[in-house]
Amino acid sequence: MPAAGAVEMIHASSLILDDLPCMDNDSLRRGKPSNHIVFGESTSLLAVQALAALAQKMVSTSLEVPSKRVVQAVKEMVGAIERLVVGQAADLAGEGMSYEKDEGLIYLEFIHDHKTTPLVQVSAVLGSIMGGGSDEETERLRSYGKCIGLMYQVVDDVLDANKSSEELGKTAGKDLMSRKLTYPKVMGVEKARKYAEMLNKEAQKQLQGFDLAPLSSLADFIVNRQN
Amino acid sequence: MLFSASATPLMSSFFPPPPKKPMRFSGAAIRSSSASNFDLKTYWTTLITEINQKLDEAIPVKSPTGIYEAMRYSVLAQGAKRAPPVMCVAACELFGGDRTAAFPTACALEMVHAASLIHDDLPCMDDDPVRRGKPSNHTVYGANMALLAGDALFPLAFQHIVSHTPPEIVPRATILRVITEIARTVGSTGMAAGQYVDLEGGPFPPSFAHEKKFGSMGECSAVCGGLLGGASDDELHSLRSYGRAVGMLYQVVDADGSESALEMAQELSLKAKKELQVFDKYGDALLVPLYTFVDYAAHPHFLLPL
Repeated sequence: MPAAGAVEMIHASSLILDDLPCMDNDSLRRGKPSNHIVFGESTSLLAVQALAALAQKMVSTSLEVPSKRVVQAVKEMVGAIERLVVGQAADLAGEGMSYEKDEGLIYLEFIHDHKTTPLVQVSAVLGSIMGGGSDEETERLRSYGKCIGLMYQVVDDVLDANKSSEELGKTAGKDLMSRKLTYPKVMGVEKARKYAEMLNKEAQKQLQGFDLAPLSSLADFIVNRQN
Repeated sequence: MLFSASATPLMSSFFPPPPKKPMRFSGAAIRSSSASNFDLKTYWTTLITEINQKLDEAIPVKSPTGIYEAMRYSVLAQGAKRAPPVMCVAACELFGGDRTAAFPTACALEMVHAASLIHDDLPCMDDDPVRRGKPSNHTVYGANMALLAGDALFPLAFQHIVSHTPPEIVPRATILRVITEIARTVGSTGMAAGQYVDLEGGPFPPSFAHEKKFGSMGECSAVCGGLLGGASDDELHSLRSYGRAVGMLYQVVDADGSESALEMAQELSLKAKKELQVFDKYGDALLVPLYTFVDYAAHPHFLLPL
């Protein structure tokens, strides 16, 4: 449970960071004013730092799990956080750049391997480590996490291209305006949709042999969501 | 002000002799005079060389290069005193610990320290365009990259500890305690609290921000070193107070030469040394680095030229 709380904190802190004026500069998040609008930039920055630190502490003080596993969990979590931050840096560096079709896809996969999938992956991985999963089981959950993380982003890009701010809960059309690379831009909306469905199939495959209905429905939910 | 190993007790060259409590002061002065035979400069500079090399190896430039270069810019900055890592190693060795056990944590402490300075200098924070006589990180790389560089250094620091601390020397439970200590230092009850109160104010005594912002790192360094060296809980408690006082002392000395700053420096100096008295049993050789750490806070340029 502490690990579950920790990943949610990391997620929240990454969203606060993303919305900052010097980053994506988003004044709206989940239908409400973003953190820095309410509390000011400096407090938000400190909140990001404090949340990440608290998440770290929650995992490292896990009492019911053997130390060896906790150390492994810490390693996975910090690896994920590092990828998140590096992904954001790569995203910033790549904004406005134009890519030939294949290069665009490679770049996009790099970004999302670092920006979107780490948290989802690490959530699944941490659950397995803390719950006593074997190395092989942990790896399958890692693959599951990667698939649904990527899938989430593909669907997100497709939705942004099609919907309004109200339906989304965050500012729509931003990707288009910022000339950021997205899946629809690189492969077209229809192919992007099909890619998402393929990822779902792959995710479900990884779950075979586990009794994990919640994870299976999560994957289905993501591929079918509207906001 | 050049450092001289054979100088008379430094206390008298920097602090005016206090009119009261002469016994207590002369006790500390005796400690200082034996300490002045200890070649702190060599001890410190050889440690710094080793730490710098390990830091260089710990942050290789990968793709995307921008963020790694920004991280290296601040962490590998010339002129950094490396006080947190040196204190960590010294504290570890005090208890008979192996410095190879301490190096990964020592490096991590420096990374965390550098990250906090990068963030402190940002326009939305203290807004400092210069750090250690050079352009601050955001001046060179932009506020967004500097922000990310700082945020990447925290996980990298933890990563470095877990992947480089030899589990055959340091029990995993201890590694986790070190991680927890650093996490607490960085978080909402530590440095972040200090920075917040510094910027936003609030119903706190004036010393609160100072203690949290600068005391925390010193406290953390000493305690982590103690944990790695096998200190008892009581010993960790003393190390904590010692480290906090030294951290604050370094800041007071850096600040201004006002009367009140001098008084505070003297107070902190005595407090730090008092905390070390419980470690007398470990012998002078191991204890002296921590004592002289306090004295030379008064001489921030003693390491020059390296």
